[in-house]
Amino acid sequence: MAEPVGIMLAEHFSTVTQQRQAAKLGLWAWLITELLLFAGLFLCALIIRIQHPASVTLAATHLKFWIGAANTAVLICSSFTMSGAIVLSRIGWRAGMLRFMLATAALGTLFLLLKGFEYYQDYVEHMVPFLSGPYVLAHDQASRLFVDVYFITTALHGVHLITGVSILLVLTWQASRPHFLTRHQNRIEVYGLYWHFIDLIWMIVFPVLYVLNR
Amino acid sequence: MSPSDAVMRDPGTPQATMGRPSDYLHAQHTLRSWFFTTDHKRIALLYLASITVFFVFGAIAAGLIRLCLVVPNGQIFTNDTYNKIFTMHGVIMVWFFLIPSIPSTFGNFLLPLMIGAKDVAFPRLNLLSWYVFMTGALFTMATLVIGGVDTGWTFYAPFSTTYSNTYVIPALLGVIVVGFSSILTGLNFVVTVHMMRCPGMTWFRMPIFIWTLYATSLIFLLGTPVITLALILLVMERAFHIGVFDPRLGGDPVLFEHLFWFYSHPAVYIMVLPGMGVITELVAAFAQKRVFGYRFVAYASIGLASITFLVWGHHMFVNGQSQLASTVFSFLSFAVAVPSAVKVYNWTATIHKGNIRLDTPMLYAMGYIGLFVLGGLTGLFLATLAVDAHLHDTYFVVAHFHYIMVGGTMLAFLGGLHYWWPKFTGRMYPEAFGRVGAFLIFVGFNVTFFPQFILGYLGMPRRYHDYPPEFQLLNILSSAGSTILAVGYFFPMIYLTWSLWFGKRAPANPWQARGLEWTTSSPPPPHNFAVTPRVDFDPYDYAIKAREVG
Repeated sequence: MAEPVGIMLAEHFSTVTQQRQAAKLGLWAWLITELLLFAGLFLCALIIRIQHPASVTLAATHLKFWIGAANTAVLICSSFTMSGAIVLSRIGWRAGMLRFMLATAALGTLFLLLKGFEYYQDYVEHMVPFLSGPYVLAHDQASRLFVDVYFITTALHGVHLITGVSILLVLTWQASRPHFLTRHQNRIEVYGLYWHFIDLIWMIVFPVLYVLNR
Repeated sequence: MSPSDAVMRDPGTPQATMGRPSDYLHAQHTLRSWFFTTDHKRIALLYLASITVFFVFGAIAAGLIRLCLVVPNGQIFTNDTYNKIFTMHGVIMVWFFLIPSIPSTFGNFLLPLMIGAKDVAFPRLNLLSWYVFMTGALFTMATLVIGGVDTGWTFYAPFSTTYSNTYVIPALLGVIVVGFSSILTGLNFVVTVHMMRCPGMTWFRMPIFIWTLYATSLIFLLGTPVITLALILLVMERAFHIGVFDPRLGGDPVLFEHLFWFYSHPAVYIMVLPGMGVITELVAAFAQKRVFGYRFVAYASIGLASITFLVWGHHMFVNGQSQLASTVFSFLSFAVAVPSAVKVYNWTATIHKGNIRLDTPMLYAMGYIGLFVLGGLTGLFLATLAVDAHLHDTYFVVAHFHYIMVGGTMLAFLGGLHYWWPKFTGRMYPEAFGRVGAFLIFVGFNVTFFPQFILGYLGMPRRYHDYPPEFQLLNILSSAGSTILAVGYFFPMIYLTWSLWFGKRAPANPWQARGLEWTTSSPPPPHNFAVTPRVDFDPYDYAIKAREVG
């Protein structure tokens, strides 16, 4: 059942180790830029909290804490399944790896569905100040800032998740073909880093937006 | 450890195989082989061609600015047109010329050559990076030329978010996209420096240019995402009024300035550091001497890249920042002078008692050192709180950063272009024309920008085209200088293009310079070296003449 595991050496590398490490370092460098991208939003959220503590607390009580908490759990599970896929890719058990990858994609989709439901609830409760409709906290202008930052942060994270799930599905399709693990096992490792990192960002988003301000 | 072919070859001897179709320029001829190439050398030339076109647009805008300022009451353009022109100049020159100039052209071409690699770590990503750059840059260029934007290159809120009636959002989107290109290039370079060095190429055997490129790439990685976010928020603010930068809702416009300058001050070092690296290479090659204090120069590059993240507040001394913050930022800004001075002193000491040849690249290098000192010292004036209150937003600031950006980066770019032109193209440029061009640019530059120091000190604010008549003489002087500068720029544009077809064939190492890039043929073969080099010598091994390299 197990197939040989490895990667195809690209022309400009001299060893497979060099190629593997380069890919890993490259992805880490990308993740640092992602962290800094979100760091700007966390900074804004914290500055708004310092400048308008009462408004932020008021706005934060309107966030759907339990949906956020459930989503946190969903993403932790997805990291677990992704780790499973990586471990199985290393020992060359392709069928098991594919199942874990599909499970990861399913959990990612579940997250997005829950998030979409949460946005819908926000809309129904008139908690979407940047649309032209009524805004339930219109008497407290500063609360808008926090709610807007909440939408931008979660939407940006959502975009990353949509990208992540799409890449994962393509990768699963590629991996379902023979000899994938012999040639491209590295892709699973590198993708795994990205997926874990999206989870990690949510692990910061959740406390900064939902927990800290209650 | 047998020495490789590349190391043993006498760098001074012309290649017998010169001109054979195996070099990277002649390996393939189709358009496809250029636009879908993954060869770092071809990608470098794609960048060179595109930034030259952008530079011409930016320079035309600069010429129009100087034209308008010849008369005190600004009759030549309306206020709105003038605002659009200086915005066009700033946006193009900063985002589409200076930031990608040295890293994306020389960096792409030389990084693998200088560390003995076949290519950068991710060649396809490298090509993608050029496409991303072109997408964003052409989009914003079209916006600037067809519609126009009047915010200045800094896009300050609340003007950009609320009051400007021009095409701010499309311009911002293009700049955001170009940022991703910076990130991808920086990522590629960092990984290349870490992972792709040839056997024996230790960190302290790398040329200084590679050190500065590495430091620049770190700034790309750590700074660019923050400006991306700041500009995304700006787009959101303008499109949806999210309020984060709007004081009417409790937001803070100064927050945008903090986010903006957290990247844009380090961006100064994205533009300056690679230039410093180029100058180090030129000075060592044309003095035929080891770089004085190599390790200090290397550390100074990393030092500059680090300190530069701690000084952004000096752009907001008069914008409502707290006294304490301003004092701290002022002190930290002074600290930048230390690694900068290390570099200047080390260049001077390298030239001292060297075997100096005043070829065109060295003329540019000498010009650079003088102008960079002037630009750097006037930076200290501006870092001083009390003096800045007087000089803030005047022509003094304009003159200061042009001494750094044009007198520094632009001269380094041109110097490096002449120095490596034989390697890029396999052709020599005409030396006499080169020297005349370098002289014209130096004179033209100083006549253009020195009067602006005086204008600024006398109180002429930047970004106005209407000024009191007593400033006219200095403004005419400045405009006259800009015409000399323009003629100076035409020189290399014309004779370098000419040399592509009619220049003398270049030997592998026309300057008797050290460094791995000179051990391979000019132009290099597609994978750079016939045999992967092995390095068992220090960089700038000029002391050992008889032994040749290695």
